[in-house]
Amino acid sequence: SPKLAPSPVHASIALFSCPRSPQPKRETPGSLSPQVKPSQGPSPSGLRAAPPAPSRRHQATDPSISLHMSPAQLVQKAHELMWYVLVKDQKKMIIWFPDMVKDVIGSYKKWCRSILRRTSLILARVFGLHLRLTSLHTMEFALVKALEPEELDRVALSNRMPMTGLLLMILSLIYVKGRGARESAVWNVLRILGLRPWKKHSTFGDVRKLITEEFVQQNYLKYQRVPYVEPPEYEFFWGSRASREITKLQIMEFLARVFKKDPQAWPSRYREALEEARALREANPAAHCPRSSVSED
Amino acid sequence: MQGSTRRMGVMTDVHRRFLQLLMTHGVLEEWDVKRLQRHCYKVHDRNATVDKLEDFINNINSVLESLYIEIKRGVTEDDGRPIYALVNLATTSISKMATDFAENELDLFRKALELIIDSETGFASSTNILNLVDQLKGKKMRKKEAEQVLQKFVQNKWLIEKEGEFTLHGRAILEMEQYIRETYPDAVKICNICHSLLIQGQSCETCGIRMHLPCVAKYFQSNAEPRCPHCNDYWPHEIPEVFDPEKERESGISKSNKKSLRSRQH
Repeated sequence: SPKLAPSPVHASIALFSCPRSPQPKRETPGSLSPQVKPSQGPSPSGLRAAPPAPSRRHQATDPSISLHMSPAQLVQKAHELMWYVLVKDQKKMIIWFPDMVKDVIGSYKKWCRSILRRTSLILARVFGLHLRLTSLHTMEFALVKALEPEELDRVALSNRMPMTGLLLMILSLIYVKGRGARESAVWNVLRILGLRPWKKHSTFGDVRKLITEEFVQQNYLKYQRVPYVEPPEYEFFWGSRASREITKLQIMEFLARVFKKDPQAWPSRYREALEEARALREANPAAHCPRSSVSED
Repeated sequence: MQGSTRRMGVMTDVHRRFLQLLMTHGVLEEWDVKRLQRHCYKVHDRNATVDKLEDFINNINSVLESLYIEIKRGVTEDDGRPIYALVNLATTSISKMATDFAENELDLFRKALELIIDSETGFASSTNILNLVDQLKGKKMRKKEAEQVLQKFVQNKWLIEKEGEFTLHGRAILEMEQYIRETYPDAVKICNICHSLLIQGQSCETCGIRMHLPCVAKYFQSNAEPRCPHCNDYWPHEIPEVFDPEKERESGISKSNKKSLRSRQH
């Protein structure tokens, strides 16, 4: 039967101290194994799975194994694990091997290698994601995109209104300061989120490029040199598009949520936000409401 | 369910990226889904014609079927906006939530869910939910804490709050409809038009059948004398407008500023 392309998980799980267990009996063609085309590569091949066959007991060659696992059960566990990993990744939570065993694999721990192998195969074929062991020491896995990293992914949905936490964070900082925010101040805040100018981030990519170029091109931010300062320093202002699309009240709500405080904790800003909201209600809704220059608190 | 011939679709990198991004965002409105689809084509297959969204998604779903997951399309109950999410069909519990919340928080959600399903209006009052705090499984939870947990549910789009009352978010209905119908088969309400789960809607005062607000809008569109499809009695409620995505985009109303135009109709 055709060989499966080695998956990164193969090597990874070999390092785990999963007790050595005999492989489940080789699945006969036409049952539940995916039909792998010999020329495997980036070209797509459909994942074909027959409807669940009547469960077959696998012949354990090791007499000490009391628990049987049929091919159907293996596949079901692999599907459960696939979903589990996808949801954990969606929530940006750590995918921890002991959790996998506790929450999904359970008493089938002896077959964790086969289950993991099947799961990573499905994830690669259907989602284009690699289940990779990122740290043997902490036994953490991560879902890594197998497709070309595409920085535009995150802005694909954001062109209309990038209400990403990142942009809101910067806009809030500028708003609270009441004037431009120096780049150094912005990085101080972003550092709290674990973002550094020199580090590539799994979601945001090149953060510095994102905030100094992309957000600026989209008119959400302005990035300008501070006059008369040597060596050169830069500061951020609200862009015209931010002023049009984002209200001060939204910024106050964001601040309240993030810092778990009442918006009244920023009294003059909150008053300003209420003023703007009232003005918007009264005026023509299409009117551009410029951010008024405010004095510092 | 699917037709008798199960034609297995083919996954390309366009579909894979689409799935990845849909999963990342959790739940998306149709306009965003269309843009996502166009983006994925642009990245991987510039010259190809973009499939009609319905065909595109059916193609992916035919591959996902064997994995017991599906890209499901639903419609928000209050204003008829189409939404999409990747859901697990094999689940028998509220699985996507399970990773986010502690045992007692999940139980609070279950209690709120039961009250919502049993209610006449599809809304459960904050007071009634909080009164059940003593019955929760797991660590003991104070009422004050429970209030914050309810807000967490709202922020994560599992519940919607209106004037101190809670109902299910469109996302929760999309992801949990199967679970709800299996768990509360006697208490669930069904829409007379689309036969899906109904939480909020309008009901006929004579025969009691219920309809979703968007289903009412479509069914009675440009009908001067709306009558109950079941008993033919005069339909006593205000007929909402059919959701028009084109109108939405033109007016450029920011979502968070837009007040719901519908009022509850019971």
